[in-house]
Amino acid sequence: MEILFYVFATVLVGAAIGVITARNPVHSVLYLVLAFFNSAVLWLLLEAEFLAIVLVLVYVGAVMVLFLFVVMMLDVNVESVKSGFTRYAPVGVLVMVIIAVELAQVIWVRHMGLRGVGELTPMPADYNNTRELGLLLYTEYFYAFELAAVILLVAIVAAISLTMRRRPGLKAQDIARQVGVRREDRVKLVKMDAEERQ
Amino acid sequence: MNFVSPDLSPAFAEMFVLGMTCLVLVVDVYLKDSQRGITYVLSMLTLLGAAAITATSGVVARELTFSGHFVSDPMGDVLKLVVYATTAVVFMYSRDYLRKNDLFKGEFFMLALFAMLGIMVMISAGSMLSLYLGLELLSLSMYALVAFQRDSAQAAEAAMKYFVLGAIASGCLLYGISLLYGMTGTISLSGVSAIFSSADQFNIPVLFGLSFVVVGVAFKFGAVPFHAWVPDVYQGAPAAVTLFIASAPKIAAFALAIRLLVDGLGDLQGGWQDMLVALSVLSIIIGNLVAIVQTNIKRMLAYSTISHVGFILLGILTGSQEGYAAAMYYAIAYVVMTTGAFGLIIILSRKGYEAEHLDDFKGLNSRSPWLAGMMLMLVFSMAGIPPFVGFYAKLTVLMGLVEVGLTWLAVLALVFSVVGAFYYLRVVKLMYFDEARETGEPEAALDIRVLLSANAALVLLLGLFPDGLMSLCIKVFQ
Amino acid sequence: MIGLSHYLTLSAILFLLGVTGIFINRRNVILLLMCIELMLLAVNFNFVAFSRFLNNLDGQIFVFFILTVAAAEAAIGLAILVVLFRSKNSINVDELDSMKG
Repeated sequence: MEILFYVFATVLVGAAIGVITARNPVHSVLYLVLAFFNSAVLWLLLEAEFLAIVLVLVYVGAVMVLFLFVVMMLDVNVESVKSGFTRYAPVGVLVMVIIAVELAQVIWVRHMGLRGVGELTPMPADYNNTRELGLLLYTEYFYAFELAAVILLVAIVAAISLTMRRRPGLKAQDIARQVGVRREDRVKLVKMDAEERQ
Repeated sequence: MNFVSPDLSPAFAEMFVLGMTCLVLVVDVYLKDSQRGITYVLSMLTLLGAAAITATSGVVARELTFSGHFVSDPMGDVLKLVVYATTAVVFMYSRDYLRKNDLFKGEFFMLALFAMLGIMVMISAGSMLSLYLGLELLSLSMYALVAFQRDSAQAAEAAMKYFVLGAIASGCLLYGISLLYGMTGTISLSGVSAIFSSADQFNIPVLFGLSFVVVGVAFKFGAVPFHAWVPDVYQGAPAAVTLFIASAPKIAAFALAIRLLVDGLGDLQGGWQDMLVALSVLSIIIGNLVAIVQTNIKRMLAYSTISHVGFILLGILTGSQEGYAAAMYYAIAYVVMTTGAFGLIIILSRKGYEAEHLDDFKGLNSRSPWLAGMMLMLVFSMAGIPPFVGFYAKLTVLMGLVEVGLTWLAVLALVFSVVGAFYYLRVVKLMYFDEARETGEPEAALDIRVLLSANAALVLLLGLFPDGLMSLCIKVFQ
Repeated sequence: MIGLSHYLTLSAILFLLGVTGIFINRRNVILLLMCIELMLLAVNFNFVAFSRFLNNLDGQIFVFFILTVAAAEAAIGLAILVVLFRSKNSINVDELDSMKG
């Protein structure tokens, strides 16, 4: 167990560093996917199976693909992306120093007497994470569940209203009209008197 | 597992607003562009109906439902009524402006109603989860509204900045909430409060979590140093959206601070008081000083908002019931003043042209003495000149500070509001003593003229007779 | 034995890498969005770890909602990004400077 934690945690931190330092946005997205996969495995170690699977299916499967899609669609110029990295390095170093201080504080948690934190005992064999979450979600968290639905609705409305454009003069196929067309609509027979010979 | 179905009645207003918004969404799809007026009428009916439901609910005591995620109390009802009224005023001011700029679309009304629903959820939040979800509902609708004018590069840029900074703030708030959850083992605000009232409070992880939470709250208020988004969003968004962002969400920010810091973490007051002191002092100083050099009136009002936010925080940080009541009074007064000021900017704007430069106010008196008179009252009130509401609001906040022994803070706030009076008076000078750049009276529909007059009259009336609203604010905190 | 502090440390590293990323990535907005995703991942880590060690499922439910909201947020953020790119033809942070004061 311990060795698993350290292996995946190391890869996770490496992937996170990759996200923020990669020169190409596509690489950043792929590093982020790696980070999510490793997180999912670590959550499995914590016996949060449902969330681990949701993270992979929903997050990697949908959100990250959306990111990748937008990166590709916008076709960002990699050359211009490279510049400006070192300029802000001093700020980055400063933040890193703050990291060290803050980390030290968080590790102190161990000595600060958290409530109800002891050794981790494995869940019993008949424990079903998904079932327990489902029981809570549809009873006590019913209100939050409805709110989440509204938030998703807002996201749909917003994304469509921001990005959908009806351009005038757009050439599109209307199959119903194509099929429904009759001979009279296309061909017009004109009767003319024959012209006189000159 | 024994689960009792929740009592839905306290949340009728929320359910009504959600149902009506979905109705607007569906109806709007089938409307032609010439029939958008129906969307407007339906949205106004939604607000009217919600107001009727909330006003007749007659809540007298604190009531929890939905397993503690929803709390209904008199403070919530008062704040909700203010939010309905504000949203209705925003819709009325915006109507003609949106028509003129080809922005009169159903999405504006829907997103604004969804944002309002988010504010209602925040006002009634009984747990950190519903607070977070309400906040996100509000924020996501706001991001979309700012970017709503799609052909404007400035609006898109403002929306992007707002989005990135807002998402970072949400991240900080969540990190703080996660630490608080770890310390207490519960996400309900009353549960958190119960644990902190008994346990020894000031250990480092708790302070760590608390400071992340305060950062999130400060960002949503737009307090210095987390104010970077405010001027850009005010300037970049279309005036109708700026009007909305400047008004109703400030009530939401107030509710967020009260629910989280007072209801949930009230016993850590010693911890967050110092942080709020720093935030409010910086906001009042930076807001008033930077506003002086602005030439864009939307930016100027943005910095003015920042200094007003400083005053609201001053009321909250006293930690006394009088202080909370004063902060609530200030927030409501601020909303009344700011809707009027932005309403006037909207009236002065024409098709494709935002009256956002201070020069647009030059010689307003010669063009329309009536509009100039209204602006005079609003600006005097913002500057805190008696007998307008802004004066009384500042006075009660400062008195609350003196009562808890923070006299130095009151003096500092007073000095900088005097400094701030300078840029407000500059607007008056431009309107009355400068040559007009253009002639002709700005055109406005009759109902909008009536609305603006009522708005300015309210600023005067609340200042002359402050007791009614003030006693209401005090009552809801007892 | 892997304890709570190991998970919290890991989460703090992730969170602060996200924050650092925001500071050093002044190059393009999409990287900022990814740094925000890292911050949210750290928050989720905290919740899952606390939830497991406190033996209380509220934290895991909270994560469920954070994932939902983050997906909605990503959709809107990317939509705004597309609008921005169409109007400016760039998503470079340095070029977002049309408003000053």
